[in-house]
Amino acid sequence: MASTQHALLSPAELAYLHASLSLTPPIRPDGRAANQFRPLAAETGILPGTNGSARICFADGTEAIVGVKAEVERTRRGDGGREDGVEYVSSRLEGDFVEGVSSGEGAIAAVDEADRVGESEWVELSVEIPGARDDDAGTVFLAAMLAEALLAGGEFAKKLWINRRFHWKLYLDILLISPPLSYPLPLLSLTTHLALLATRLPRLKSEGDEDPFFDDDWAAAPYLYARKDGKATARPPVSLLVMAVGNNIIFDPSKEELAVADVALAVSVGEETATTTAAEADEAQQQQQPLGRNLRLLSVRTIDPPSRLTPPGVPNATNSAYGAATTQKQPEARAAESEAVEGVWKAPRGGAKALVMAALVQKALMRGGVADEVLDALDAVDLVA
Amino acid sequence: MTDRRRVNGPVGSTNPPVFEDEPEQEFGAQKGIRTRTPTATRKMYLKTGVTPSASGSAYLEIEASRKGAVSGLKLSCTVHGPRSLPRSTPFSPHIILSTHVKYAPFATKQRRGYIRDPTERDLGSHLETALRGAIIADRWPKSGVDIIISIVEGDHDRETSKSQGGEAWDMMNALSGCITVASAALADAGIDCVDTVAGGVAALVRDEGDDTTPRIVIDPIPSEHEQILAACCVAYLPDRDEITNLWFKGDLPASDMELYSQLVEKGIQASRNSNEVIVNSLLISTREQQPHERHDGTTRMHIAFNLQR
Repeated sequence: MASTQHALLSPAELAYLHASLSLTPPIRPDGRAANQFRPLAAETGILPGTNGSARICFADGTEAIVGVKAEVERTRRGDGGREDGVEYVSSRLEGDFVEGVSSGEGAIAAVDEADRVGESEWVELSVEIPGARDDDAGTVFLAAMLAEALLAGGEFAKKLWINRRFHWKLYLDILLISPPLSYPLPLLSLTTHLALLATRLPRLKSEGDEDPFFDDDWAAAPYLYARKDGKATARPPVSLLVMAVGNNIIFDPSKEELAVADVALAVSVGEETATTTAAEADEAQQQQQPLGRNLRLLSVRTIDPPSRLTPPGVPNATNSAYGAATTQKQPEARAAESEAVEGVWKAPRGGAKALVMAALVQKALMRGGVADEVLDALDAVDLVA
Repeated sequence: MTDRRRVNGPVGSTNPPVFEDEPEQEFGAQKGIRTRTPTATRKMYLKTGVTPSASGSAYLEIEASRKGAVSGLKLSCTVHGPRSLPRSTPFSPHIILSTHVKYAPFATKQRRGYIRDPTERDLGSHLETALRGAIIADRWPKSGVDIIISIVEGDHDRETSKSQGGEAWDMMNALSGCITVASAALADAGIDCVDTVAGGVAALVRDEGDDTTPRIVIDPIPSEHEQILAACCVAYLPDRDEITNLWFKGDLPASDMELYSQLVEKGIQASRNSNEVIVNSLLISTREQQPHERHDGTTRMHIAFNLQR
């Protein structure tokens, strides 16, 4: 698993790292503040053959590219195994249809926005990590986490609805092109976010349930995430990596920092799509309140911290090199279960308190907190599709 | 002369039996409604030591909520090890844990293949995280343990519409069962753990009806509710009051952290319930294994052995 890759650190180094990260304020090896992300360079529209693409390069040298490709697909009944192209009309829509005819309103009533149904199968997401098999548990875990956040609430799949007979099938291919120097979740998530923001689908010219027919003009193609005045009105989710060491909460840990984590969580955050009315915005301005983002919590997953696999240190009291008696020969008689000694590394055991986990999530979602900051930074990236 | 060489059918004519169909119900009426209280889990059956060839094993069954419509979850877990690693593997100061979750091909509505699909691998890595916190790994350097779970019957409702996305939520129920059964099997194998870890699920659901506000229930069945807004699966160590694995999924406003905390709290409550089942089942199996002196001089173990024969 990518998160459990051994950072080649000795017990003494681990103990030092743990101690310096537990200080208030924590001292991180790269000198960042506890809630500071690694600096990153981002660009979009790098792949001309895709509907949307992005590349992000973190300062530590990890780099990822994401390409989004869309295809038109016939909507089918999924469960009956009917591969003969029989079209699927959900029972609810069928009901509407019958009603419409009986009341003499004409043929097919236009489907409301609310009646659109999306399915999670319309999105296919694949993650490629160099050096890892694509059926590796870690890779699968990453892909499942990114897909879970994207599909939460079912809003995203609805965007892919064309008409009752057709839908877009979206392929998201996420490639880490550098070796995995750190747990790649934040990098992959931010790159996917940008690529989806830059994704455009051809403008639909046909109406109703006709076979879809699209506008040739790429310049007229609307964004998948609708934009107004150069700003997206809705945005895809981002997943943040948060960890706790001692009493400190640290964001975006590097590989070395993750190696001493007590607990690590991946928190996926989305932004509320509800648009604030002009009156509300005015009110907020009058009250001199910063109009913060309405964030939503989409998913939380525990990451297996690699700290549980680190080798333990040997305290001087039991170390024969420091004059400890070496009478015991059997390994089971060895003082492996010694009390924790200050400054001697011991891999953490057990889990984390519910309160600690809640604090990690709370800190990530705080108004004006890290999630806000990251979304603001991503807003500043120019979109070239 | 009758033909005595063959087994012939009866001389007279017979009618094949015709069974009455189950009464057809309206689509709406077919949906079950939760009859348990919001804080009640379904009944569970847990037995350890079911597979003699494995060093530890357990079988878990969760009752079906309704007759006919829902099949309960049936899980079987085997633990192989701790055993030494092959010589080629690099030194490890800890036990190397490998988890393997597989749905039987016939376990769910849609047939599963023999090769593990991404959801099964995902379940496996969740399970690994949950167990790694519980096992005292540094007592077995240079060794490995394999935990293999086969889901014999998934908790699937035949009538659930696909659009509801019930399968995604069923994964949580499956994971909580996997954690519980694996914990019992680890104890059966005699692998040292800090505590028996148990899984529990809680969900924020909206029921049918116009004016219902979302409520939190534990051990949810997706088909019993109109919509599941969020769910969380917790692996919890009751003695240490610690969580080893937390998986939350859904859509909650960030301003309402109280709701999230409540959900986790209920998840912990659910896992406490399943922990009771583990503890009781382990007590029963240890009592069965221990030879008790009886007044007539024979041991209970001896009697049990006789009964088996």
